[in-house]
Amino acid sequence: MSVLFRKQMVSLALVAPLLLFLIVFFAFPLFTMMKSAVSDPVATQALPASTNALSDWDRSSSPTSEMSAAFVEDLRQINDDQLFGDLVRRLNSAKAGFRTLITKTRTAVKATAGPIDLTAVDKRWADNSYWQVIAIATSSTITDRNLLAAVDLERNSSGAIDTIPAGASANRTILIRTFTMALAVTAACILIGFPFAMIAASVEGWRRQLLLGAVLLPLWTSLLVRTAAWFILLQDTGLINSTLMFLGLTTEPVSLIFNRVGVVIAMTHVLLPFMVLPIFSVLVGIPKTLMPAAASLGAHPVRAFLAVLLPLALRGVISGSLLVFMSALGYYITPALIGGAKDQMISSVIAYYATGAANWGMAGALGLVLLVATLLLYVVYLRLSAERELKP
Amino acid sequence: MDNSFIRFDDVSKSFGALKVVEELNLDIGKGEFVSLLGPSGSGKTTILMMLAGFENPTSGAIWSDRKRIDKLPPHKRNMGVVFQNYALFPHMTVSENIAFPLKMRGTSRADTSERVKRALDMVQLGALAERRPSQLSGGQQQRVALARALIFEPEVVLMDEPLGALDKQLREQMQLDIRDLHKRLGLTVVFVTHDQTEALTMSDRIAVFNHGKIEQIGSPSEIYDHPSTRFVAEFIGETNLVAGSVHSIDGHEAVIRLENNEVIKVVAKDRLRSGSKVVFSIRPERIGLGAGPGNTLETRISDVVYYGDHLRLLLSGGGQSFVVKTDRNRLPPSVGDSLTVSFLPSDCWAVDA
Amino acid sequence: MNFLRVSKIVFGSVAVFFLLAPLFAILPLAFTNSAFLNYPIPGYSTRWFEELLTAEVWRRSIINSLIIGCGTTLLATVLGTLGALGLRGTQLSPVFSFIKTVFLLPMVVPAVVLGVGMQLMFARYGLANSYLGVIIAHTVVGVPFVVVNVLTVLQGSDRRLEQAAASLGAAPYVVLGKITLPLALPGIVSGAVFAFATSLDEVVLTLFVAGPNQRTLARQMFSTIRENISPAIAAAAFLFIVGTTLIAIALNLSVRVSQRGSRQ
Repeated sequence: MSVLFRKQMVSLALVAPLLLFLIVFFAFPLFTMMKSAVSDPVATQALPASTNALSDWDRSSSPTSEMSAAFVEDLRQINDDQLFGDLVRRLNSAKAGFRTLITKTRTAVKATAGPIDLTAVDKRWADNSYWQVIAIATSSTITDRNLLAAVDLERNSSGAIDTIPAGASANRTILIRTFTMALAVTAACILIGFPFAMIAASVEGWRRQLLLGAVLLPLWTSLLVRTAAWFILLQDTGLINSTLMFLGLTTEPVSLIFNRVGVVIAMTHVLLPFMVLPIFSVLVGIPKTLMPAAASLGAHPVRAFLAVLLPLALRGVISGSLLVFMSALGYYITPALIGGAKDQMISSVIAYYATGAANWGMAGALGLVLLVATLLLYVVYLRLSAERELKP
Repeated sequence: MDNSFIRFDDVSKSFGALKVVEELNLDIGKGEFVSLLGPSGSGKTTILMMLAGFENPTSGAIWSDRKRIDKLPPHKRNMGVVFQNYALFPHMTVSENIAFPLKMRGTSRADTSERVKRALDMVQLGALAERRPSQLSGGQQQRVALARALIFEPEVVLMDEPLGALDKQLREQMQLDIRDLHKRLGLTVVFVTHDQTEALTMSDRIAVFNHGKIEQIGSPSEIYDHPSTRFVAEFIGETNLVAGSVHSIDGHEAVIRLENNEVIKVVAKDRLRSGSKVVFSIRPERIGLGAGPGNTLETRISDVVYYGDHLRLLLSGGGQSFVVKTDRNRLPPSVGDSLTVSFLPSDCWAVDA
Repeated sequence: MNFLRVSKIVFGSVAVFFLLAPLFAILPLAFTNSAFLNYPIPGYSTRWFEELLTAEVWRRSIINSLIIGCGTTLLATVLGTLGALGLRGTQLSPVFSFIKTVFLLPMVVPAVVLGVGMQLMFARYGLANSYLGVIIAHTVVGVPFVVVNVLTVLQGSDRRLEQAAASLGAAPYVVLGKITLPLALPGIVSGAVFAFATSLDEVVLTLFVAGPNQRTLARQMFSTIRENISPAIAAAAFLFIVGTTLIAIALNLSVRVSQRGSRQ
């Protein structure tokens, strides 16, 4: 027992550095991202006195004088422009008009020292709905706002979950587009990859080497190089269009780049190896005697294929499809370079929120959706390959 | 204790709920060649692995030269191990493989090369010193493994089915070679095998294992001629098991009533009690054709099988079937003939069922 | 039957063409003397290679890629090899099979998701816009390849070789140095090549964690394609293809030589 324990300790000591490394630099960043999706500390941080004063408010009676006094006090205290900016963004995203209102109020508040009548600064402070927004924002440092917004839902003023009015956000459109594009790429990969793997498994010698090499070479080549290559081929003055025009098939260049067709073509090329290889490995694992056996038992080649080879190969197709679909969901580079504005997938939107809009909450929430979808698919994939190991 | 060199003292080993070795007590003398024989899963390899230090006993103690070794790591046990598939280091040449244990012991360069040369000569591989293991035949690899396990003059050599991967002719040659080395160098050898012929031809003593326990331990002739259990009788060689009950005991002779009420005489043993059920082992080659001294039995031939050097007759008589080996020049028997056979009471050996 | 054969040949050729044509189409463009990435090529020159080596952005990005690639390879190879050594022979334990899954997970998680998390976290701990930060990010996605490669080789090698070494008197650390690591070397080397190639090709994480000073070749290619495409891209792609091929060949050779040369 103690020896086994010691061996386990040695193993643990060996895996510890990498485990620690991945906890700190892999798990923790993912956790940070998830936390940013649900955390909402800005209002509480920027408005400590109001947080206190508004916590007892029933949100339907008219705002009390303590509330406005606390709010004025808080506005006077904010010296950090970054924090103020975050606060404005946070409140304005919940109710349009807050940006002008709060900036105007701050200027007024800073100009005097004593108590101040907010409704005199701006009539809107008499409106309950602005106070409600502040009350909701300060009521908790955790929010489901971003997660709901990621799938185009929101909480209405009474707190119930409701759909965002049509046209206000495009997140659901993007999610659906991401799934349909990933599906299209997966389907294209099956259509090309399955027959390709069948052919590769049925030939031998240099023919098989050539077919497998054709799959492996792109896999080893830089993704960026492949994407650049497609960019060059697909552009209006590119090789494909000039060939088509030379052959007289078209007089105008066919639009292949910055649209869905180009993205699907390039992504299929990039992800095809992940379809071919699992199917091929299943096919070569099938004993060569099975088809002759089926024939000897009286099966027509087509019947034998349908009844024997296809069911056995199906597991490879499913593994390959999961791999391709999973990778396609999170694809960024190819759509970003070859797609147009209407072909951007969820990854591009996440990147936009994170680097362009500095809206970490939304980036985190959409990231969480993508992460969960990917991990679910991966679990299914692991289950399937574990099953395959059990029954050789 | 006087002659005991390796001693297993109540050693048990279990993997989880599975008991692989149960309360093993075994003494091996210096210079002795002991085979551990048994079917796969009988625990014999686990015992060897515990002796070499790759497994640790769940309970009990192992002694070597009066020192307790079961907590010692393998590299401090000084035992030469020859593995089933030789375990030659593929990234080293033959001479590097053989020099490895000397290097580990800090032997000087000159001394090492001298001893490696001698070891290579001993196994007649001098010309192949710079080859890689993958460039050698199975038999050559086997000899390299042997040289590597012997070069550091270990006190004990452990062999785990070392001949299993060789073809029949080479295996027989290697059996003789190993036996010769054992005698010449006075080695203590613990030899694991599932091949009974190998155990019979090479060993001073054989321990027959079944389900993690020793069924019987003794010299090859003891094991073959006087198997103590039904398992040993069936596992070693071929045998006829005859069931009956003790009718009467008269001094050194007991009378047994077979299932069809015929009676035969056997040598009485302590444990035979009047009226008790009993099983005997009679080796096929101990049964003679025709009437003779001792017991005679009337039988009918149900099959004749030609084996080249002998014939094997399948007989029915005494309420059961018998196998008899016979010289093929005797008579041309044919199926359906009746045949009288005879055997001595001393060739009937009572075994534990 | 004949129809089947013909359609097999036709389909196979078309598919091979689809897979390989883009790669071969880009290579000649590296040698164009025109400012446009078009066929037919009006004339040949090496001006775009000169551009790569002399233009500050390209030169800088190549150097950055080499620095970051080497750092990543070193870190990922050490961590991954240790991890694979620890994982081996412990397949039965659920704890270790979970750890193995964790080790491989960075291959699965979408890069953008990881990038967002890293950007947030790195900014908080001062790792943003630093070489160390980029090396760490690349190591996270490169290390699974090392683990997989080393583990495959280790599991394929015979455990009894190490037992034999121990029985012949080798202490555990000697077994590691003389038997286990030399036998695992092919896996370690191919893992290192994969880690280097991963780092070289990494764009997404680099976008999130690298500052302008850590702009890598891949990152530079990304923005060039996006903003103003020029034949410098083809020249960079050419370097990429030739470079990775050369490294793979060189390392493969060095493994063979070191295995042959281990006889002192």
